[in-house]
This record gives sequence, structure tokens and C-alpha cells, in this order.
Amino acid sequence: MATYTRTNAWNNSGTFANADLLWYAKGVGAMQKRALDDLSSWWFFAAMHGEYVKDTAFPGWGHLPQPPSTPTTPQPSTSVWNKYWDQCQHQSWYFLPWHRGYLLALEAQIRAAVVSLGGPSSWALPYWDYFGPGTQYQIPPAFTATTLPDGSHNPLYVDARYGPQNNGNIYIPIPPVNQDCMSNDLFTGTNHNTPPPGFGGPKTGFSHSGNTSGNLENNPHNLVHVYVGGTAPGGATYGLMSDPGIAALDPIFYLHHCNIDRMWAAWNNSGKTNPTDTKWLNGPASQGQREFVMPIPGNNAWVYTPDQMDSLSKVDYTYDSLPAVAPAANQLSQRLTQLGASAAAARVNEGASVAQDQNEELVGANAGALPIKGTGAGTTVRLAADVLHKVSASLAGASETAPPDRVFLHLENVRGTHDALALGVYINLPAGANPNDHPELLAGTVGLFGLRRASRKDGEHSGDGLSFVLEVSKIFDALHLRNALDTDSLQVTIVPHQAVPDTAEVTVGRVSIYRLGQ
Amino acid sequence: MTGDAQELARVRNPVLLLSAAAWILLLANPGGMVGHAHFHAMRSGGLPLGARFRMLLAMNPPAALAASWLLMLVAMMAPVLIPHVRHIRRRSFRRRRARSTALFAAGYGAIWMAVGAVVLAIDLAVKLFAQQSYLPAAGVLLLASVWQFSPSKQRCLNRCHANTELAAFGPAADFDALRFGVRHGLWCAASCWALMLFPMLLPRGHVVAMAAVAVLILSERLERPMPPAWRWRGLGTLTRIAIAQARIGMGARTRAARSLPALNA
Repeated sequence: MATYTRTNAWNNSGTFANADLLWYAKGVGAMQKRALDDLSSWWFFAAMHGEYVKDTAFPGWGHLPQPPSTPTTPQPSTSVWNKYWDQCQHQSWYFLPWHRGYLLALEAQIRAAVVSLGGPSSWALPYWDYFGPGTQYQIPPAFTATTLPDGSHNPLYVDARYGPQNNGNIYIPIPPVNQDCMSNDLFTGTNHNTPPPGFGGPKTGFSHSGNTSGNLENNPHNLVHVYVGGTAPGGATYGLMSDPGIAALDPIFYLHHCNIDRMWAAWNNSGKTNPTDTKWLNGPASQGQREFVMPIPGNNAWVYTPDQMDSLSKVDYTYDSLPAVAPAANQLSQRLTQLGASAAAARVNEGASVAQDQNEELVGANAGALPIKGTGAGTTVRLAADVLHKVSASLAGASETAPPDRVFLHLENVRGTHDALALGVYINLPAGANPNDHPELLAGTVGLFGLRRASRKDGEHSGDGLSFVLEVSKIFDALHLRNALDTDSLQVTIVPHQAVPDTAEVTVGRVSIYRLGQ
Repeated sequence: MTGDAQELARVRNPVLLLSAAAWILLLANPGGMVGHAHFHAMRSGGLPLGARFRMLLAMNPPAALAASWLLMLVAMMAPVLIPHVRHIRRRSFRRRRARSTALFAAGYGAIWMAVGAVVLAIDLAVKLFAQQSYLPAAGVLLLASVWQFSPSKQRCLNRCHANTELAAFGPAADFDALRFGVRHGLWCAASCWALMLFPMLLPRGHVVAMAAVAVLILSERLERPMPPAWRWRGLGTLTRIAIAQARIGMGARTRAARSLPALNA
């Protein structure tokens, strides 16, 4: 029986009538009174996720709108900085277990502050279930009130939170945010039901910033960050939640991640398993890289590994409810049916959840970097006839023993300075058409959370930027059925959710199409 | 085996084999260069400078030196190119993967051969003027150490991890592969020039020094890019891996879940 139960932030209408939210606010306030170099301060915890303490311009911590009043001094010693700060794991299979430990540590700190203020020792971090019914896709009102019930300043309110329309109205647009990842079979890897790189993320070492996000990380996680943070009026800056180096300064961050953690728990609950690879279980420290470490009350260092985080039964808390994961249609069966091979579709083995990732091969690419400006950009992806023919042939002859090729659209080496963007990627959108009228041509939607620091030349991947992989198999099936695959190119259109600010730079290094098949 | 693991093996195994073969050739060369393009020590006594110079060149033909330098390059550098060869193969059409890889290698090799010419020229000068002295080697070692721990070295190391975009079709694809090799070669040479020069200048023990440098280069490569700063740099990750694996071997970190400490005060 777990000691703690994390509850829905929208209980009691998401206002301060919800005692968990009121105590959270008081706990945040207490942590914010501590110094930057205090291991139990709000700022120290935010810096562990990511920081721009020394940057001399936005998003430097000394150049952020207030509230909150973000300090840049006193800085911790080099050894403390290197041990704790800039630790968060992204674009990696460590994304979920690292954040589970991070939440546990923050929760313990808040709980200790709550208890010292006379609050309940049973306090647990609430979650924001943006997929919940009614108004739950909106941010709970406790986060937009500027004062607490007693009239004092509300620590849950931050100035730099602009929303999907950059106007201060904070909500999650559903779609394009969705729960499609919950039907994935595999934590790492790909098969017909799991787009690459897998539900939890690709196999990596210590990854503070990487290339390709796991499916849960991509949607909803990255998109929620980008939609909540948004862009400031004028376009020169963006909201705290938009960028990993300032996101954990906004108290809504932890409620968002609580829901991501809850989705992971629900995914496991539906029978899907976490990796058993010792490289995952023992964490990057077993490979000679940095360890996962958090300060717990008493300023002790708590070192943890994914094998301690890989089940709710190991972490002494539970959720008041886990979302039910509806059994999803087998994607291979669906495609075979669409391609006209119904008999084969019926023979597909439902139980197969093995990685199928042999023979990945380039089919085509555009020429030159693609700048994303204003309301969008388009490019022509030239296709190699001989490779495209392999795709067509596999679609024509598809069966359960000779599955059709899977096809992917890659956005490679996406670089820039403006994280607060969600990009809708379309294939063969007719000129002048409204993208919203063509959901069948949507390859997917990606959020650029982490763009700035992935683009820095002295960053963790040498400025290679972010990469995105979108499965477009069904779009290709439709093209094939219309006899439209005898072509030498495709049009790819990229539509940002809001106009890209003039001062912002976003470029896609290369747009390419890949096949995965026999 | 997953497709990813298969592809890794497809690249890693031949490259490591190539590197191993190069080491064997370097080390098993009796009476020859003793491991690398090293000018034969001479008993040159009271000969005038010009004569000594001609004698040196006669004993060490430039073509043989170049071949020896190339072997050393393949032995020491091939393993660190594995991630980039994988990148090229993944980003290229299947039919031109070998071609793009070859162009990358050619660009990379061209830079290092140019560096080799400079290194060998320095080696020649040292042999002419101070052939039995450890001073030049010591001097370069000092220089290499300062460079090793400097922020500039980190900047170069960081760039060595870059995997940039590559055009897919035609001459643009050829150019990009070549350019990728050249760029990578430049950052690689900027990182390691002093380390490669040091073993050459030792009157004795250059094979041991070469092996040590190779270990250092590989170990450095295991580190992630990080902000440029003065720090001890090089063997950290290798040491930590050894310690971590030893701990695992001794069962200190087992798969059975260890219970969490009391997180709450």
C-alpha cells in the first residue's frame, strides 16, 4: 500500500479550494526564499533541470520577466555545479526514469516545507490531466491567480507564460496534442505499432540534450511545454515553459511532468514492459558517465538508477486514477486492410511485439537547408526512382508474411533560437489550401522544446540540433491506392502554430524520406 | 539482433579489424621504422649539416615515411571515426554509401597527411640538431599538456562530435561527404596535433608512447561535448567505466531493486 497518493489538480475546480494546490503554492514560496546555491531551493532544483545562469541576454536567468524574481547569485561551487546542475535527460531512454526521480526529490522538498508550515505530511504533487473531461485541458485557475486567498503574492503565477495563442490564455489544444503514444508496444525500438524511436526514447548514454525524442516525450510532453510557454507579444522572447533551461522555474512544470509520469505508469499497467537491458537499468553512471543525483531534505545526496524507478511499486506513491488505455487496432492489420489485403489482415499475429527495424534506407531528400519563417515554408523532396519502386512493390504485394514497407519523414538537424514553436508537417498539401482541411495529409506535429541548446556548437551534440521522425506509412498507402506513387518528388509543407517571429531563426537542415522493410 | 545493432557491427567490426591490422604492420616491422615514421638515428659525428641532411633523407625516403604515417593514422584514428561512418551510411542512398564513406575518408586523410608533412619536417629538424636529446620531446609534452587541459582543446573536441547534414543526390552529395571529412579532419588535427607529434620526437620508447597516446585519444572520444573550460581532461571516462564495471562485476549494483532511502526528513 503506497504511502502517498497524487491527485488531480482540477479537483475543487482547480482553485485554491484544492488544499493540495494551496499547500503546493506555500511550499513553492518557501523554496523560493532560499538562495540559488542552497541545495533545497526552488532555483537549485530548476537549475538541475537546465539553466542559463551565466548567459548575458534572454533566456539568461538575469534577463527573465518577473515574477518570479530569478537569482543568478550566489552560484554554487564548481564541483556542486558539475555534480547536480544541467542533469535532465531528454531525447533518451533515460527521459522517463530520470524525471520520475526528479519529481520524487522535488516532492520531498515541498512536503518538508509544507510540514514545517503546519500542513499535512501526506501532501503529494498533483497532476494536470490535460486529456481529462470538461475544462481540464485548461491550466488550473490556481496558476493564473495573482494572489493567494490571504491576499499575499501567489508563487504559482509567473509572468512569462503566454499560451498557444501568445495571449496569456493557457490551454492545451487537443488535437494536435494526443495520447497516440499509449498504443505503442515498445519502450525502445520500433515495430508496426511503435514509431521509432519507441515510447520511452532511443538508447543513448547520459543525454542532457539529444537528437530524437521518444514518442511520449514528443507528444504530449514537448508540445505541452511549447503551448504553455508560448511566445511573448512582440516575438523577441518566449515563455518559461518553452525552453528546458528555464522551464522548471514555472511551477506548472512539475504538474505537467507528474501527468507524463502517470501516463508512463498507465502504459506499464496496460501490460507494456520497460527495458531489461542492464545499460538502462544501471543508468549512464555504469558506463562511466554522470550519475543521476538529487538533494533530499537534510541536504543529503540521493543517487538513483532507472532500475529503482521502473515501477510504481518501488516508489511508494500511486495516482488516484490511471487513464485507461484502450486496446488499439494493430497497425499492420489496418494497413493491410486499407491496401486491399483483408484476408492477410485477419491472419496478422496480434501478439507480436518484437522490434522490426531491419533495412532502413534513404528514399529521397530535399536540397539545401530550409528556413522556417513567417507562416510556414515548403520544400520539394526528390525521390530516387529505384528505391521508391521498392516501396511501391512492397505495398502492392503486401501480406502478413511480407509486410508493406513502413515509410518515415525525417526532419534532420533542425536548429534555431526559438523553442516556442509547434510545427505541423504536411505531405502534398495543395497550394493555397487550409492545412486544417487536410488532416489526412498531416505527417505529424512536433514541438521545438530544446531547440536552442541543441543548436549550440559547444552543446552536447556539437550543434547538430534536433531531429524528428514522423511515420507516414498511411499517407504513402493512400498515394499508392491513388496510383500517385509513380512520381519523382513530394511536396513537404511545414506550418508553425503561430507566425515565426522575425527575430527568430529556425532552419531544417534536411527533409528526407526513409523506408524500413525487406 | 536489432537493425541498429546489426548496422553498428557492420561498421565497427571492419574498422576495428583495419585498425588492428595497421597496428600489427607497424609493430612487426623489423629493422624498419620501429612503429612509425621516425627518422633513423644516425651516428653522424662531425659531418657538416648538409651531408647529414642528405644522409637522413637517403635512409628515410619520403614515400616510405608517408606510408608509415598513413599506417599510424589508420591504427590510431580509425576507431574514432566509427560514429561518423555510421552517420554517413545512414544519411546516404544505399547505392552510394561506400562512395560517400570513401570520400569522407579521403577528405579526412588529406588533412592528416598535410599535418604529417609538418610533423615529419619537425622530426627531421630535431634529428638534425638534437637527435639523442629528450628535450624536444619534453618540450612538446609540456605544450601538449597545456593544450590538453585548455578550453580551446575542449572546443575542438566538441566539434569532433558533429554529424552534420549531407546532400543526398549527385555532385552535391560527393562534395558534402568530402567536406565532412575535411572539416572533421581539421577539428581532429586541432585536437590531437601535439599528441601525435610527441611520440615522434622521443629518441627511444616511441612505440609505448604511441600506444599511450592511442588510449588517450580513444578515451577522450568517449567523453561527451561540454562547455570549454580549464580542466583535467582525457582519461576520466575510461577510469569511471573501469570502476563502474568492476563494481557491477562485484555485484554491488545488482538488478534486484534496492529499496529507496527515506526521502523525507
